Amino acid sequence: MAGPLFRSLRSMRVLIALGMILCIAGCAIFAGWIAPHDPGDQNLLSILTPPAWVEGGDPSYPLGTDSLGRDVMSRLIYGARTAMLVAFFASIGAMIIGSILAHISGYFGGAIDWIIGRLVDVWMSFPPVILSLILMVGLGVGLGKVILAIVLVDWTRFCRVLRSEVLIVTRNDYVAAARLLGFTHWQTIVREVLPATLPLLITLVSLEMAIAVVVEAILSFVGLGVGADQPAWGQMIADARQYVYQSPWNLLLPIAAIFLTVAAFNLLGDGLRRTLDVRLAETGR
Amino acid sequence: MLALQAKGLTVTARIDGDDVPAIRALSFDLAPGKILGLVGESGAGKSMVGRSIAQLLPAGFMIAAGSLLFEGEDLVRMAPARRRGLLGRAIAFIPQAPMTALNPVRTIGAQFDEHLARFGEAGRKQRRERALAMLAAARLPQAGDLLGQYPHQLSGGMCQRVLIAFAFASNPRLVIADEPTTALDVTMHPQILRLIAEMQRRHGTAVIFITHDLRLAAQLCDDVIVMYAGRAVESGPARAVLSKPAHPYTRCLQLANPSLRSERRALYVMPEQMPSLRQLRQMLGCHFAPRCPLAAEDCRRSEPPQIEIAAGRSVACIRAAATPGIATTRRATAVPDSSGRPVLQVEKLAKHYAIDRGLFTNARTFAAVKEASFNIAENEFVALVGESGSGKSTIAKLLVGLEQPSGGRILLNGEDLTDPSMRRGALRALSLQMVFQDPQSALNPRRRVTNIVTQAMEAGSRHASWEERQRRTSELLAEVGLSADFAARLPGQLSGGQRQRVNIARALCSIPKILIADEIVSGLDVSIQAQLLNLLARLRAELGFAMLFISHDLSVVADLCKNVLVMYRGEIVDQVPKEAVFADPQHAHTRALLSSVPPDEPEAAWTLRTRNVS
Amino acid sequence: MIATVVQLITRRLLAAIPILLVVSALLFGVLRLLPIDPAAMSLPPTATIAEVEAKRREMGLDRSLPEQYLIWLRDALHGDFGRSIALRRDAGSLVAATLPATIELAVAAMAIAALLGVGGGLLMFHLRGTLFEAVADFASILLLSIPEFLWGLILLFVFGVALQLLPFTGEVAPGLPLPHITGFLLLDALLVGRFDVFLSACQHLILPAFALGLAFSPTIMRVLRSSLFDVYHEDYIQQARLRGLSEGKILLGHALKNASLPTLTLAGVQFGILFSGTLLVEVIYSYPGMGNLMVDAVRNADLPLIQAIALTYCIVVLMINTAVDGLYVVLNPKLRVR
Repeated sequence: MAGPLFRSLRSMRVLIALGMILCIAGCAIFAGWIAPHDPGDQNLLSILTPPAWVEGGDPSYPLGTDSLGRDVMSRLIYGARTAMLVAFFASIGAMIIGSILAHISGYFGGAIDWIIGRLVDVWMSFPPVILSLILMVGLGVGLGKVILAIVLVDWTRFCRVLRSEVLIVTRNDYVAAARLLGFTHWQTIVREVLPATLPLLITLVSLEMAIAVVVEAILSFVGLGVGADQPAWGQMIADARQYVYQSPWNLLLPIAAIFLTVAAFNLLGDGLRRTLDVRLAETGR
Repeated sequence: MLALQAKGLTVTARIDGDDVPAIRALSFDLAPGKILGLVGESGAGKSMVGRSIAQLLPAGFMIAAGSLLFEGEDLVRMAPARRRGLLGRAIAFIPQAPMTALNPVRTIGAQFDEHLARFGEAGRKQRRERALAMLAAARLPQAGDLLGQYPHQLSGGMCQRVLIAFAFASNPRLVIADEPTTALDVTMHPQILRLIAEMQRRHGTAVIFITHDLRLAAQLCDDVIVMYAGRAVESGPARAVLSKPAHPYTRCLQLANPSLRSERRALYVMPEQMPSLRQLRQMLGCHFAPRCPLAAEDCRRSEPPQIEIAAGRSVACIRAAATPGIATTRRATAVPDSSGRPVLQVEKLAKHYAIDRGLFTNARTFAAVKEASFNIAENEFVALVGESGSGKSTIAKLLVGLEQPSGGRILLNGEDLTDPSMRRGALRALSLQMVFQDPQSALNPRRRVTNIVTQAMEAGSRHASWEERQRRTSELLAEVGLSADFAARLPGQLSGGQRQRVNIARALCSIPKILIADEIVSGLDVSIQAQLLNLLARLRAELGFAMLFISHDLSVVADLCKNVLVMYRGEIVDQVPKEAVFADPQHAHTRALLSSVPPDEPEAAWTLRTRNVS
Repeated sequence: MIATVVQLITRRLLAAIPILLVVSALLFGVLRLLPIDPAAMSLPPTATIAEVEAKRREMGLDRSLPEQYLIWLRDALHGDFGRSIALRRDAGSLVAATLPATIELAVAAMAIAALLGVGGGLLMFHLRGTLFEAVADFASILLLSIPEFLWGLILLFVFGVALQLLPFTGEVAPGLPLPHITGFLLLDALLVGRFDVFLSACQHLILPAFALGLAFSPTIMRVLRSSLFDVYHEDYIQQARLRGLSEGKILLGHALKNASLPTLTLAGVQFGILFSGTLLVEVIYSYPGMGNLMVDAVRNADLPLIQAIALTYCIVVLMINTAVDGLYVVLNPKLRVR
C-alpha cells in the first residue's frame, strides 16, 4: 500500500490539492496565533467596513468587518477550524460505519446482504438535505451534533459504493483460496479483501470530506449548524446576504473559502483515484 | 493475381523508447481460394498479421517496413478511406470472441442490416432476405426469429455462425479468421471449422487461418507458416510440414501435444518460454536457440536465413537436417504404487440451484449436479472431463467447501465432510487442496511469492516464524521448478506458466493427500502445458498424492490420468479407465468429445461425429 | 417487453410501500424526540395548565408513541396530514399549494443540467487525447466543487446585484396576477393567455434553475465521458471498425446507445438529489416552493408540517427512482428478454 501512496505524490493534482489542504488545515490548527482578533469581538462602531485595500478600509481589519463589527478575517480563519473538524470527524465516522457494513454485506452475501441492502435503501430514500435538517431539528445545534448528523446521513453512500467493490474483489479466486487454506472469515476479510478495497476507501474519504464541508455550510446557513457562538462560513454567508448591497465582500469571501476547500478535497479524491486504482491507470483514464 | 502477398512485412512496437520488431520480415503468397494457416503460440505475432491487414494496430505499434499487397495494391500505403472501403467488403474478419463481438443493445437483424447496407443492397426488404439467406447457409435454424434477437440470447456457437454469415455476406476475396474456435466449447469446434471450410469453398475466398493448434492447421489449411517470436520459422504445404517438420521448433511443438493414441509417449518439454518483446531486444542469433535441442554456437551468433529445402518449403534453421532426430521415449511412467484405498469417496452428490424466484412464481430448480458417485484411490489421478455448463466446476466447489451440497455425501479419508457437526474447515485444509484455474485471479496481486506459497502457515492460530516460511518457500519453489529468486516477486511479474507453478506450490504447502486441479492448463500455450503436465507427473512420483484433474480437453488428460469421468449436463455419463475411453468410447457425449480433437497424423481424416446444433 | 416493465414497476411500487411506512415512522419518532410541546405551542401564552392539558388530550398526545403513529397514519391515508401549528392551516393543502412551484423549478433545472451535461460530456470526449482534455477535466472538477447553494449566491450576486440583469426574488414580478388552474404557474399563464405573466415567471425562473442546473451538470458530463471511454474499449467497437464502419457511424449507432445507459441511471439518481436541492435555492431566491415552507416549519418546530413536507419529498424521490429503474429496463435488452 505504501508504494502506490508514494506514487500518488507524483501526481500534480494530488500535490496541488494537498498543498491547499495543508494551508487550510494550518489555519484551522494555528487559528489562535494567526487570527488578528478574537472572532467574537464585536465593535459596533466599525460595522460593515470593507477590506483594507478598498477605500474606507481599516488596516487593522484586513478583510473588513461584518454587521456586528466582527473581524471577517478572524472569522474566516476560525471558520476553517469548524469546517476541518467537521470534515475530518464526519468522514472518518461515515467511513467506519459504511465500510464495516459494506464488507460484511459484500463478503457474506445472502440474507445479511439482503438485510443491509434494504436498510440502505430505506435510509437512502430520505433526500440527504431533508434528512440532515430533520436530524438537526431533533438533535439540536452544536459541532458534535453536526458531525453526528452527517455521519448518520452519509454512511449509506460509503456502504453502497464500497459494497460493489467488495463484491468484485471477493469474486477473485484468491479469496476462496485463502478460506481453503484455513483462514477464518475475519482473517480473509482483513488480509485479502481489505487491502484491495483500501484505495477506493481512501478516495471516498477524501470526497466525503468535500461533502461534509458543504453540508456544514448549508446547515449553518439555515441556522441549524454549529451554533451562533462558533464561527462558521455558512453563517457568515447568511449574515452577509442581508447587507449584500453595502458590503459585497462579506458575501464573496466565505463563498471563496468554501469553494477552495471543497475543490481541494475533490481534487485530492480525483488524483488519488487515478493513481491508486490500477485498472484506471492502465487504461489512461 | 494473388489474393494477398506479404513482402518483408515488419511491425515494430515501442518498448522503453526503442522500436522492437514484433513481426520481422514476413513474406508469403496467398493465392485466391486457398487457405493459409498461421500457426504459433501466444506472443508469436500471428494476430498482429491480421491487425496489420486492417491497419488497426494497437498503440505504439507500427508497420516499419515491407508491404502487404491485396490484389496488387499495397494496403500499407493505401489512403485510409480506400482501405476502410475494403474492410467488411473485400476483406472480412471472423473474430475470436463471438459473444462480445456484437453490440449487446441492438438486434442481430439491425446490425446485419447496417452491415449489408454498406455494400449497396438497395431496399430493406432485399437486405432482410439476403440476411435470411446467409443465416440459413450458416445452418442456423429459425433465421427469422434470430434476426429479432439480441446477442446475449444466443449461445457462443450460434454467435460465431452469425459472425461467419456476416463475414461471407459480401462475397469477400479474403477472410481472416483469428482463432475462431478458441472461445467455444470443444464439441463446437468441428462444426464451426466445417462451416468455414464450406463457405470458403462456395465463395472461392482466400482465407488466413490463425491458430495455435498444429493439428488443426494440418486438417484445414493448404499451406502453413509456423511463427516463433515474430519470425516465420518454417513454411510450406500444411500436410508436408506436419508430417515431416524441418524446423526443430515445429517438431518440438508437435511432440508437446498430448497424443490420443494408445501408445503413451512422453510429452516433449521445451524449457522456459518464448521470449517477450523486451527480451528480444537484447537477443542475438536465433531466437529459438535457448530452448532448442539442436542449438550450436553458430546458431547463437547470427539469425539463420530462410533456406528453401523443397518446392514451396522453406525453413529458417541451419541445422534443419537433424530435426527428425528429435524424439521422445516411451514414458517409463513412475507412477507410485497405489494401495487402492480410497482417499475420496463421493456418494450421490447433488446440487440444485433455485432460480427465478419471483414474488408470485415458485422457484424453479436447476440441477447443476445430479447424483454423482465416484472414488479416488491413493496416488491415483482421475480426470473429470466435460464442457462448460456440464457441472464439473460445481463438483470442484462442492468438494472444496465453497458450496454446500443439496444431497449426498463426501468422505475424505473416511470422515464425512458433509456432516454438519464436523469441523470441516480444518479437516479439509490439511488433506484436500485446490489449484485454481485462472492464474490472474488465483494469486493476490499484493502478496509476494513467499507469502503466497506459505499462506497456509498463516492460517488460523498457526504462527510460523519468518525463517520457517522462507525455508519452506525454497523447498516448494524447488519442487515446482522455479528458482529461489522468484520468492520476492509479485504475481504481476510472473508469466502465466510461472503463476500456475506458484499456484501448485501453494496447494502443496500443507502436503495434502488429494489435489483438485480445476482446468489449470486451459488457456496456456502448448509448450507451457507440457511443462506443467510433466511437473505434475514428477510431483506425483516424488511426493505421492491423488488428483482430480478437471478439464474440457480429453487429449490433455490422456497423458496423466488413469481413470476418466465424463460429465454431461450435470451427470457422470461415463466412468472408465482411459484406455477404454480412447479405444472404445461408449456414451455419445464421450464420442463427441473425442472427435473434437483433430488427429495427430496430418494424413488421417478427421472423422467428425456430429451433435445437434444447440 | 411491456409485461416485464409493468411487472418491474409494480414490484418497485409494492416495495416502496414498506419503505414509506418505515420512513414515516422514523420521521415521526425523530420529531417526537424534541423537547417541544405542540399543545402549548398551539395555545396563546396566557393559557392555563389545565387548558394545555385539555389540548394535549385533544391532540392525542397523552397516548403512547406507537398509538399516536397509527392515528396519524390512519388520518394520513384519508388525506388528513394534520394542521400546521404555526400557520393554522391544513398541512396537506399547504404542501399542495407549494409543490407545483418546486416541480417547475426542478424540471427546468434538470433540463439545463441535462443539456449542459450531455453537451459538455460529448465535447470532453471529442477532445480526448489533446491538451484541452486535461484542462477541461480540471475545470470540471472545479465546477463540481461548487454546490447549488453557492451557485445560487454567486449568480444572485453577479446577475442580480452587480449587473442587475435578472430578478432574484419570488416567482413573478410583484403586482402581476397569479392565475390558478393547474397550480403550475407557467402552464396557467399560457392557458389564460397572459404572456406578460409568463414572461415574468420565466425571468424569475432563470437564476434559480441555472443555479441548480450548473451544480448538477458536471457530474453528468463526467459520467457520459467515462461511459463513452468504457464503451470504446469494448470488443464490438473494434469489430465494427473491422467491418469498415466509419467513426461517425460507430459513435452514433453503437457507442452512444451503450454509453447512455449508465449516464441515464446516474442522471435519474441525480434528479432525486436535485429535487431535494431545490430547498436551498428556494431559500436563497425567496422562491415560494416547498423548500421555503420547510425551512419556516423547521424554524418554528412545526411538527405536522415538517412531517408532511418531508414525506412529500420522499415520495417524489421514490417515484423518480422507480421511473429511472423502469427506464433502464426499457433501454437495456439484457434485462428485458432472457
